[in-house]
Amino acid sequence: MAPSRPSQRPADHTPLAQAFFEKRENLLLFLAARTRCMATAEDLLQDLYLKVAALSADDGDVRAPSALLYRMAANLLVDHVRSTQRSSKRSADWRRETRASIGDEEVSSELAADEVVISRERVRLLAEAVAALPPQMGKAFRLHKLDGLSQKETAQAMGVSVKMIEQHIQAAVRQLSQRLRG
Amino acid sequence: MSNIAFEDDRDLAEASAWLVRLQREEVSEADGLEFEAWLDAAPGNRAAYEHVVSLWHEFESAAPQVQDELITLDRRETRRIVRGGGTRRWWLGAGGMAIAAGLAVAVLPGIVAQQATAETYATGKGERKRVTLADGSIVDLNAETKLSVTYGRNERKLELAEGEAIFDVTHDARRPFTVAAANRVVRVLGTQFDVRHRQGDLMVAVARGKVEVRPMTAAASGRAFTLTPGQKLNIASSGREELGAVDPQEAFSWRAGRLIYRGEPLANVVADLNRQYVEQIEISDPELGKMPITGVIVLDNQPAVVARLSLMLPIRSVPSDRGLLLLRK
Repeated sequence: MAPSRPSQRPADHTPLAQAFFEKRENLLLFLAARTRCMATAEDLLQDLYLKVAALSADDGDVRAPSALLYRMAANLLVDHVRSTQRSSKRSADWRRETRASIGDEEVSSELAADEVVISRERVRLLAEAVAALPPQMGKAFRLHKLDGLSQKETAQAMGVSVKMIEQHIQAAVRQLSQRLRG
Repeated sequence: MSNIAFEDDRDLAEASAWLVRLQREEVSEADGLEFEAWLDAAPGNRAAYEHVVSLWHEFESAAPQVQDELITLDRRETRRIVRGGGTRRWWLGAGGMAIAAGLAVAVLPGIVAQQATAETYATGKGERKRVTLADGSIVDLNAETKLSVTYGRNERKLELAEGEAIFDVTHDARRPFTVAAANRVVRVLGTQFDVRHRQGDLMVAVARGKVEVRPMTAAASGRAFTLTPGQKLNIASSGREELGAVDPQEAFSWRAGRLIYRGEPLANVVADLNRQYVEQIEISDPELGKMPITGVIVLDNQPAVVARLSLMLPIRSVPSDRGLLLLRK
């Protein structure tokens, strides 16, 4: 699953590189909050490693390696989100468009290459969990997570503040994770 | 049921809070360090967070399927509510009929039970409504639409006085389902189709089954058409008839809050939008109104919709007395 650990290079001995390997799992989970899937988070982590390795031994000898790692990871996320925003927005529109056709029958929707095949039974469980959310919370979750609107767009669509949407999403995730545990 | 992976719901609550916090636009190294401290603070935290993230990713990859399933669930829910009889409906013209029926009860109870009653459903600006009829057929009404429904023993008669609706008809060979609009009758057995009647212009698009469109009376002008899935018939108020192909899902897109156009003149698109929003859009000159639009318009809020329009065409908008005025850029 994880890319094989790169062979020892001089940069691996810097405190920064050491910190990277110690905190690898934490950094992965940090990145995963903003990615579509774990594989993308792994890719970003690999990019992060390349940046760490590219630093010379002097640059890599920093006093607070953890803080620098998270700063670099946060910067990577900014670039990642910016680069995917345009394409994902289009694909969300596309998804919305093709999805309507699935509502009725005999429709062949093309699966994206990275799309995971998920069982009908599991889909039903996920949908029922969403349907069981309180109305406003469920609406926010559907618009944001399923329709692919940003939090800001969701807030505009529902006529409430972005802060409110964030609270709805957080509460929705909590309820869904409780219901769908194990 | 207890779970060994995470101590309790509090872990999941905290994990959910972290997921959302890390998704904010401005995430700093301080957030990262605090997150790491929380992860390492208790083994349950990490397990809870992994669960929450994997669920989040699962919803991401299964979004279209979950969406479809939810639409099915919504439908079932609507049916349940309507069958439960607890909902209040807007009855029109039923009063007189009820009196007549009451008088007849003692005489011919069998027939009275089958007595047709008319019901009228209406939507206002920006309103869309789903109605489940007595036979389980489902009708989605677009904005500014008026539909009356009369169910009798041998027929299911509907009249679309104005507007647009998608009909998902339960099969019943003994009782044909007809929709009257613009001096035409659309007749079906069991199928799915869209009828649009605006300012005298009629459009019928078929997704499933077979639909017949014929003049309301034999004497009337116009001929009969039989439409099959993927076909669309336009009859202009002038009487001009035009049979063409349609992607039914495009014609049905308004039901999901989207409008899909292929080379549609801006004036028509604006007319559709003006049924959805209170603020009315005007076009500065007729030439501009002829410019064709191709694309998907998601009906979330009007400023966003106008912004999308201005990406499709070289136009800009300025506030006007009634709402917005579209100008050439």
